[in-house]
Amino acid sequence: MGYRDDWDDSDDSYGWGGWYRKPKPRIKARGGIKSQSKRGAFGESWWAKRWIAVLESFNIGARLGRGRSYARSGQVLSIDIEKGEIEAAVQGSRPKPYDIKIKVKTIPAADWKRVAKALDREAIFAAKLLAGEMPQEIEQVFKEVGLSLFPEKLRDLETDCSCPDWSNPCKHIAAVYYLIGEEFDRDPFLIFKLRGATREELIKMLSAGAAPGKNSETDIEEIELPPDPLATDAAVFWGGSDLADDFFGEVRLPPVSAALPKRLGNFPFWRGSERFLEAIEAIYAQASPYGLDIFSLQAEFQDQ
Amino acid sequence: MIVFHAAFHDGQLWLWGETPAQSEIAVGKSGSRSSAKAKSRREKSSPYDAGSQALLAALADVTSGLRMGEDAVSPVTAWLPSTGDQPLASSPLIAEAPSADVRPALAPWRVTAIPLTSAEAVDLLCGCVDREVLGPGIIVSRDLAFWAKAMRFAGSLVARQQFLPDLEPVEDFYRARWRPVFAGADATRLSTLARAMPHACRALTPSGAGGPPTTSAQRVLDQFIGEIGDYLVRSAVMEAGSSWPKGRNGHVAESAHDQWLQALRGSDGVIDGGPPELATLAAQVCEWRRPISVSTLSPFRLCFRLEEPPEAAQGNGEAVRKRGVISDLDISISRSNWHVRYILQSVDDPSLLIDVSDAWNAKGRAAAALKRGKFNPREFLLSALGQAAGLSQGIEQSLKNAAPGGYDLGSSEAYQFLTEKAWLLEQAGFGVLLPAWWTRKGTKLRLSMRANVKSPKMQGGSRLSLEKIIQFDWEVALGDQVLSLKELEALAKLKAPLVRMRGQWVQLSADEIQAALNFWRKRQTGRATAREIVQMALGKANAPGGVKFEGVQAQGWISDLLAQLEGHRPFAEMEVPAEFNGTLRPYQIRGYSWLAFLKQWELGACLADDMGLGKTAETLALIEREWSRNGHHPTLIVCPTSVISNWQKEAERFTPNLPVMVHHGVARAKGPAFKKEASRHAMVISSYSLLQRDAAILQELDWGVIVLDEAQNIKNPETKQARAARSLKAGFRIALTGTPVENNVGDLWAIMEFLNPGMLGSQTEFKRVFFVPIQVQRDQEAAQRLKRLTGPFILRRLKTDKKVIADLPEKMEMKVFCNLTKEQATLYAAVVKEADKSLEESEGIKRKGVVLATLSKLKQVCNHPAQFLGDNSAIPGRSGKLARLTEMLEEVLSSGERALIFTQFAEMGQIIQRHLQETFGREALFLHGAVAKKQRDRMVERFQADGGPPLFVLSLKAGGTGLNLTAASHVFHFDRWWNPAVENQATDRAFRIGQSRNVQVHKFVCGGTLEEKIDEMIENKKEIAGSIVGAGEAWLTELSAAQLRELFALRKDAVGE
Repeated sequence: MGYRDDWDDSDDSYGWGGWYRKPKPRIKARGGIKSQSKRGAFGESWWAKRWIAVLESFNIGARLGRGRSYARSGQVLSIDIEKGEIEAAVQGSRPKPYDIKIKVKTIPAADWKRVAKALDREAIFAAKLLAGEMPQEIEQVFKEVGLSLFPEKLRDLETDCSCPDWSNPCKHIAAVYYLIGEEFDRDPFLIFKLRGATREELIKMLSAGAAPGKNSETDIEEIELPPDPLATDAAVFWGGSDLADDFFGEVRLPPVSAALPKRLGNFPFWRGSERFLEAIEAIYAQASPYGLDIFSLQAEFQDQ
Repeated sequence: MIVFHAAFHDGQLWLWGETPAQSEIAVGKSGSRSSAKAKSRREKSSPYDAGSQALLAALADVTSGLRMGEDAVSPVTAWLPSTGDQPLASSPLIAEAPSADVRPALAPWRVTAIPLTSAEAVDLLCGCVDREVLGPGIIVSRDLAFWAKAMRFAGSLVARQQFLPDLEPVEDFYRARWRPVFAGADATRLSTLARAMPHACRALTPSGAGGPPTTSAQRVLDQFIGEIGDYLVRSAVMEAGSSWPKGRNGHVAESAHDQWLQALRGSDGVIDGGPPELATLAAQVCEWRRPISVSTLSPFRLCFRLEEPPEAAQGNGEAVRKRGVISDLDISISRSNWHVRYILQSVDDPSLLIDVSDAWNAKGRAAAALKRGKFNPREFLLSALGQAAGLSQGIEQSLKNAAPGGYDLGSSEAYQFLTEKAWLLEQAGFGVLLPAWWTRKGTKLRLSMRANVKSPKMQGGSRLSLEKIIQFDWEVALGDQVLSLKELEALAKLKAPLVRMRGQWVQLSADEIQAALNFWRKRQTGRATAREIVQMALGKANAPGGVKFEGVQAQGWISDLLAQLEGHRPFAEMEVPAEFNGTLRPYQIRGYSWLAFLKQWELGACLADDMGLGKTAETLALIEREWSRNGHHPTLIVCPTSVISNWQKEAERFTPNLPVMVHHGVARAKGPAFKKEASRHAMVISSYSLLQRDAAILQELDWGVIVLDEAQNIKNPETKQARAARSLKAGFRIALTGTPVENNVGDLWAIMEFLNPGMLGSQTEFKRVFFVPIQVQRDQEAAQRLKRLTGPFILRRLKTDKKVIADLPEKMEMKVFCNLTKEQATLYAAVVKEADKSLEESEGIKRKGVVLATLSKLKQVCNHPAQFLGDNSAIPGRSGKLARLTEMLEEVLSSGERALIFTQFAEMGQIIQRHLQETFGREALFLHGAVAKKQRDRMVERFQADGGPPLFVLSLKAGGTGLNLTAASHVFHFDRWWNPAVENQATDRAFRIGQSRNVQVHKFVCGGTLEEKIDEMIENKKEIAGSIVGAGEAWLTELSAAQLRELFALRKDAVGE
């Protein structure tokens, strides 16, 4: 149902019907999701690469490059991930963004139980996943029970885009696919969700959830502290108590800056115009010495 | 007088003040009451509320940046423990505590407070760190001091980068903020700090609010640190000028993420608009922070404990012995394994440790201990171990089990764990428990290099000198075992970083062995001056080629010298010169001999004995000795103006044969005249202010000795005084101080640089090597090194030292000669002039009256112009005596002692009390004739009690008899009485049955005034004192006009400016 004008934008223009037309430029999107990788491959972890390898096996030629460029320049406006399904909006050359759907074949519940049992043999699987990492051996475990964690064949994936390009996957799908690969770096549970088990469900199936602490969904609500009425004793009220001399412990500037945010990794589907970790790291580097100055006040060494 | 308080509520620190109730009549205060418009009249205003004017004025006095108007002030409710109709004051400086039998209850009081922004709070709190007084009469309460500590904690979190960005909804907008992360030990610190919080820190509520606040201390502290931490990060960013790339201002951010990042770098973090998008973002931020939140909110933390292999294996050494070369070293390599054990430690109760292997399928006691609300030990353990696995291969491998509890490791991995992994794990918020021999600093055995020095023979009668060049051999040692090159090479081949040598663990880093080999193969010997060798021996040298430098092994005279310097061998006791007029006590002879010993080697000395032990006498004895030995080179004595007369007097007394010159005042010698004049004297006494002003002419002389009295005056090395002091030429330098210099790392450099230039390296080097590690990182090893390096040059003895006590009489009396200020001298002259006139005109009874009145007036002038004028005028900076008293009391207080201060005049007593309280921010009791008996008994009781007020001012009449005040170890007589018996009686208040310490009695005398003459009369006529002087002042009225004129006359040198 497309107009001819749009085809150039939405399609890989070379070799279509043997004739060439100059592609119409896409509409520059504002505030879209920005890839955090500067150039080269998307996704740093092996499991993200593994995911992307599936896309790249489709042989869709230059659409891959266009998809990467879309992903880097923020043309992808939104991504929603549900069990077995991804919905996204991508800004193309038409004013109205294209709707994209990627369906991933889910694994039936009975099979998940077999996987969980196999994973429970070694603490490393649950430990690494909880720490945000995908243990390499996990593929082997899936294989043992006759399954595959990553979609392997074309028929494991079903993709659809509202753009007029005849080719499927198109570059819009590729762009979304790349960004999801990047998100895998951060959250290894994403692939499980796509295969039909959310993080909570998976943990519950692993023996981690079977422990005495009942609900495995760790609520990160703060512990409510009991009220603490004021003392009427003058010494306690006005005086408080003294601290040990070494109360503050050893305070020095950390050799590696911004270790905490680095441990947490990139922000999910970042839309900022600067790179997140780079921007944050600069702030840590500036704040740290200032904090040390404030801390070391107690005996200012007169050197001015 | 105002006591600053601060409480945190509603996201801000609120400053308020307490003043004594009687000052309510003061103009500023009553005016402020009406100006603070309280909406609620429910609470009564606190009788101690400082009011807005006093509060604002005091705040403007102490902070440069905080200038606020009346509109900054608002009334709030303070919930204070109260009895009857009065709140309890925070300190006796405000009001005395009520008797103990009334139980206080919380009651609301209206007080005037200023809400501070985070910037203002940091500005104010920076000034409060480790201080009791912010300015004269502006006192830091314990609650304000607490916030200063909490701010430093926030600073330490920012320094260690324990914070994460966050986004929180605030009413109808969102705020981007930096939130501190309390992981591991920091969580324990937070709760420890909260427990130490005075409740006054959370005693404020909005005016007219319902009941007293009940928010827990920890929550309040958490909020405060959150605000301050956020501010610190922001202001660092703003200062760095990178708040937002230029040109973007005003542009609409492309996405909520941009807005967030922008707000994180902005001044207040506020983001408006786009609620649905920001709500999504807030959820995303929360999700992103989740792994950290899970671990920091957990009631347990994961710890790793390194355990040594069992020591059974003597036989394990066999393999090594067979190699032959290092057989003598008795080194064994353990074949059995080290072990890292996983342990869960409770955050609230760090002594609760649970073995992880018991926690996987916990039963019984372990299960009960792990049961904490929603805490899921399995998930926590898996997640924590998963994170730790990324830091250590060993941990990762251990996870191949279903329920890992630890892992084994060999000696190389154990070494790597000790040197690298432990630190990495700690940084990531895990607990690490290491063997004690490793964590105890300075006890680790490792490879070291040392210099073996054979002292060269001194030829003929040539004097031993530290400038002599000496050759030495480099040695490599393990512990105290010297190694041969072959042995070292054999050790290198072992490739075992941790071995046992005679049952002790020794670390053998391959890098260190290689460095030692490289260095040693190149250089077997070295050359240095004896002075450098001494410094090396005391630990100054850096490690040659990266190997730890152990020190100097010496023979001959250098060895003797080192042993004496380090106190292993006593130095010779010297004979006190015959010309010295006085007897030194045994410890004083040791002090004098120590000075002479260091003089012999031209090493500077810092004599830092407790006040009153006789530093002056010891120094004078040395000056006497040097004067005859060094060919009459003069000694320069630099001291604060307030003690010039004292030096002069002491020199007259102890070294009457030495010509003394005071270089001070307008009429002092200048230019070439000075040099000529000074060369003819044994001692030139001058002040710190002239040290700087007359530096040029002082530099022209080759001084025999330079003495800096109260040497803390040069503690700031960049001041002109300090520079001038360093620029002087002298054969020997002495610094005298009564304050414990060795404890103040910051001050030490300047004093040592004056005494022994270069000893502590450059200032920058010193800061890096000693100051920062010791003050900031609490590095005990660095503190030890510094002590070793400076210890030989500092002699500090306390009155309480056993050796000293034995030598001390129970009561020591000394006179303290003070100067007059210019103002005092002018007033003095005016009184004398007026007296001359009146005496000429009067006769008989009237004349007697004039004489007595004049005596009284002159004594008042000597005390303080404000006493003489009776005008309630300003106190500081106008009286030489009061300045000296304050200096001396500072030392008394810093050594935790207590003092009595006697004066004949009740008005002066009040001035002294007020001045001391405002200067030290501590209570000073004052007993005078109008105090009722019951109150007097209470004062005595409090002064005698543990932790009672350390200063007690007494009028001679009211307090001179009957009281028992043995808690005091110092007695000051601020003015003189004609009758020594009265003074002695007063002194005996402190010196009574039950007194277990020595008592020092300081009698203040203004030099060059009638006080000095009265003193002389008392001294000369001691034997007849009872008959003549004892009758009071009446006999003075019988003196002739000429005698009186002489008595009243003011000597020129009385003025100290």
